[in-house]
Amino acid sequence: MLIYDIWFLFIYMFSVGNLIFVSKNKHLLVVLLSLEFIVLSIFFFFLVLLMFIDYDMYMLMVFLVFSVCEGSLGLSILVSMIRSHGNDYFQSFSML
Amino acid sequence: MFFFILTNNNSNKMFFLFILFFSTLISISSNSWFGCWIGLEINLLSFIPLISNSKNLLSVETSLKYFLTQSLASINFLFMILIKFSLLKNFNMNNIISIMMNSSLLMKMGSAPFHFWFPNIVEGLSWMNNFMLMTWQKISPMILLSYYFNKNFLIFMIIMNLIIGSLGGLNQTSLRKLLAFSSINNLGWMIFSIMISENLWLFYFLIYSMMIFMMISLFFLMNMYFMNQLFINNMNFFIKLNLLINFLSLGGLPPFMGFMPKWIIINFLLINKFYFLTFIFMMTSLIIIYYYIRIIYSSFMFNYFKMKWVNLLMKNNMSLINLSSFISISSMILSTFIFM
Repeated sequence: MLIYDIWFLFIYMFSVGNLIFVSKNKHLLVVLLSLEFIVLSIFFFFLVLLMFIDYDMYMLMVFLVFSVCEGSLGLSILVSMIRSHGNDYFQSFSML
Repeated sequence: MFFFILTNNNSNKMFFLFILFFSTLISISSNSWFGCWIGLEINLLSFIPLISNSKNLLSVETSLKYFLTQSLASINFLFMILIKFSLLKNFNMNNIISIMMNSSLLMKMGSAPFHFWFPNIVEGLSWMNNFMLMTWQKISPMILLSYYFNKNFLIFMIIMNLIIGSLGGLNQTSLRKLLAFSSINNLGWMIFSIMISENLWLFYFLIYSMMIFMMISLFFLMNMYFMNQLFINNMNFFIKLNLLINFLSLGGLPPFMGFMPKWIIINFLLINKFYFLTFIFMMTSLIIIYYYIRIIYSSFMFNYFKMKWVNLLMKNNMSLINLSSFISISSMILSTFIFM
């Protein structure tokens, strides 16, 4: 039985993650964490969706693999930024 | 392009280029929206190593900005796919969902109003990476856009694209940013051609990428990144002529190659009575041609700017330049022989 109120939770989590992503932060790591939070909310949504339709969960695992790859790519860019700038503050962006 | 990569001892970039090509194919040819998302993710994963170079401050910031905008867009796209999947028989939400999906794809392409990252990133990339960004990276979002678009929303976005692309390039001195705004303007034409037919989009896209390739290869060979480098005394006349022809072709002036796809789109617009949209297309094209001509006119008058401290010797590799001039001038007529 579908409970429609649970969709509000997913939309709320997603919106909060987006809000933190676009907010003015001091560190880059906060932005990457908000990306991971959005991924988490989508994971939850996908899980509940697949459970309600009684599908198999394989797609969820594929999604998880790709999201983890993307998260690790973000972290590697963070590392490269720290190697060149010395910190991960947004204030140290001077080139672009 | 492969030649340029091989000469720089960068064979690992070949690997990522290969995966980049395949990611677009995965995204286009998938059976479900989820496969499209996977293709977009692999696209991001393989493009970032191509542009990042940790010894250079500029390329680190570039790859960071690219990563942040593209990953946000693809995650939003996935969320909208899931919402679409969960509301299968509820057709009331179709407008909102299609608007959100189109918005995330437009953000991936660099189209207005999500274009703010695009000139910044283009400023930080080399010419070959710019070529990849402006041509290949636009294929898969556009084809995905053609699968499920919202006509009214896209027409509004097209108008914004045209206006921002034309007015944004007026105050630029960097050649890369100029081509970036011109790319945003051409995105407006391309999105409209998607709404007409996918064949027409393919035609416009191929001709656009050919024109951009000619321009970028010319700038790459002369190692020019800014407008003040264009006023060189020793430049061969044929190089200047090629520059003129390619700029005018990109702007869409009649005897050159770039006029053909715009002509077909205007034909469609006028037959179907889209008069206001035709007016906007025309006026923004005029502004773009204005700032192209502003760049190149002084080198073609008798009394032009002469900077004497630059020596440019290009005697050996003129064949590419001659070939590209020939293609730009004659392909309108030659194409009537092909499509006979």
